[in-house]
Amino acid sequence: MSNEHTVKSYEEELQYLIDSVIKMGSLTESQMVDSMDAVIKVDKDSIDKIIKSDDEINKFRSKIDTQIMTLLVKRAPMAIDLRETISSLKISQDLERIGDLSKSNAKKVKPLPLDLPEELLANLKRLGDLVIKQLNDVLDSYVNKNYDKAKEVWEKDEQVDDLTYIAMESVIDFLSKDKKNLDFSTHLIFATKNLERAGDHITNIAETICYLIKGEYLKGSRPKGKVIQQ
Amino acid sequence: MNDIKIKSKNLNVYYGDKQALFDVNLDLNEKEVTALIGPSGCGKSTFIRCINRMNDVIDICKVEGNIEIDGIEINDKELDVVSLRERVGMVFQKPNPFPKSIYDNISYGPKIHGKGETKSELDEIVENSLKKAALWEEVKDRLNEPGTGLSGGQQQRLCIARAISVNPEVILMDEPCSALDPIATAKIEELIDELKKTYTIVIVTHSMAQAVRVSQKTGFFHLGKLIEVGKTEKIFKNPDNKMTQDYITGRFG
Repeated sequence: MSNEHTVKSYEEELQYLIDSVIKMGSLTESQMVDSMDAVIKVDKDSIDKIIKSDDEINKFRSKIDTQIMTLLVKRAPMAIDLRETISSLKISQDLERIGDLSKSNAKKVKPLPLDLPEELLANLKRLGDLVIKQLNDVLDSYVNKNYDKAKEVWEKDEQVDDLTYIAMESVIDFLSKDKKNLDFSTHLIFATKNLERAGDHITNIAETICYLIKGEYLKGSRPKGKVIQQ
Repeated sequence: MNDIKIKSKNLNVYYGDKQALFDVNLDLNEKEVTALIGPSGCGKSTFIRCINRMNDVIDICKVEGNIEIDGIEINDKELDVVSLRERVGMVFQKPNPFPKSIYDNISYGPKIHGKGETKSELDEIVENSLKKAALWEEVKDRLNEPGTGLSGGQQQRLCIARAISVNPEVILMDEPCSALDPIATAKIEELIDELKKTYTIVIVTHSMAQAVRVSQKTGFFHLGKLIEVGKTEKIFKNPDNKMTQDYITGRFG
């Protein structure tokens, strides 16, 4: 933001809101890192901690909602302030959904066997790493109000789709080898799908950030990878 | 987008040595509400006072440049200012009814402009004007009581009825709600919405929220210059000019 508001407390309230979104973002990011780690390492001990961290993310969401309501009613924000306020609302919603998906993935670790094939894990990890990188980049573009970076994230979702396709294939391949793999393979399919959906929420955030910065929506539909086209 | 009703071209206004407006080029669309915003002393009132040549009454005021209404230059010295003001009515910040009855407040204008020759014609004008100003139901049984006895909001609607009574084409409003409570303000805003179907309206306001609510086009003035003009929604969501943004978000200083 450029100049400061004449009303100092307005300035502080807006900054406090932005800080809340940033904090919520970093919590969501570390929850996703932990959740992905638990899946790859089939680490059943960390499940509870990850599930618990989701409560904290949800609390942030309610706190941000309250802050937004107060800002709207007290300040009737205009122009950049209005876009900042509405963007916080939208971003916090997407972050909460991402948190839910990470929690869901952590829960899927429980029934997994400890000897999953390496190639399958490697494909899942590549997808997970990319989604985490995307989340990190989009939050970075929010902090620095970097339009180009947000747009890059938006465009890169195509790669998330492609890696989802590859990961999916390796799970299905694993499943088709032995029927007794059916039970936990279903969990792995859901986990893969959850990562792809988290990727979609990240592109939503990227779109919101682009709108926040320029005041206009990204034109055209974003590039879509294999998994979507199927 | 509606046709252009009023067009100002390179408008410069001076009060003695002090220049109040600098090369203002602004088009106002017919049957639309244009809001003019900007800090005190920015020239927005000076601008609307050019539209009905109210600045003529100030000796030291000099107006240069053009203002056209329906393509006709109104700064022409030959132009009949009285008939111009018949076409361009004005409502001020503080309600200023004449110290006369409600009826006389409305009938005075038509009378001096030679409209409403008979009592029944005048009655009709008074009733229609008060109805258009959404005041009729509240005052129809006390038309002979003094206009100054009405509440502030009613007085302002009376002034709007008075402006309407001579059947103008344009209504200028200079902060018409700044002395009114929120309900009276809401009634005036509702009225503006209705009036724009018939009249071209220009409103000067210090309330951003009001500008957003009532207008389709907004112009932002600063230090006598028109900084930005555009669709109201665009101005308040995503203005092009940084100064506009700083003003509407309260960052000026």
